[in-house]
Amino acid sequence: MKKIIPVLVVSILVLGTTLLWMTNSKFSMPVAEIVQLVVIILIVGFAVYLAVNRLRSVRRGEPAEDELSKKILQKASSFSFYASLYLWVAMIFVNDRIQLDTEVLIGTGILGMAVIWVVLVIFFKIRGIKHE
Amino acid sequence: MNNRIKELRARYDLTQEELAKRVGVRRETIVFLEKGKYNPSLKLAYDISRVLQSKIEEVFVFEPT
Repeated sequence: MKKIIPVLVVSILVLGTTLLWMTNSKFSMPVAEIVQLVVIILIVGFAVYLAVNRLRSVRRGEPAEDELSKKILQKASSFSFYASLYLWVAMIFVNDRIQLDTEVLIGTGILGMAVIWVVLVIFFKIRGIKHE
Repeated sequence: MNNRIKELRARYDLTQEELAKRVGVRRETIVFLEKGKYNPSLKLAYDISRVLQSKIEEVFVFEPT
């Protein structure tokens, strides 16, 4: 339960900030910003899905987290750390050729890291963790 | 590593949810164990064997690769 509340608070904050961003741009956004918005909504949706899953487990009388869910998160986090390093190298390479704004570069990098993490969590949830 | 959790669970008329509650894990973990997608920790293997009233080596069969 302790870990569910921060997930929900962060999700609400992200959605609130996104709403502010949309209001500032007066709901007329270029395609790149719409893609970013969709990715943000998908990531927040995934975080809410994880929180709801934990709540359901608690209601059934099961623990919110157990050794498998912890291992999945640990493995996804460590793999996404390695993948993020390569992502940033690729971003620097791209930035040398196409001059991007600092905010765009950092924003895309952070979103990319979040996407990698979500993809890896889903991958390990489907494939499982064997031989460890 | 193979296991006989599903077979032994049926013998004692336990659902996945009941077994999960008795060993203190989520039902998802029991599903993964039965499908062979996850190798449990020694403690979890011991707890499952105890609930299924069997020896650990009767529940979990190690096959060297």
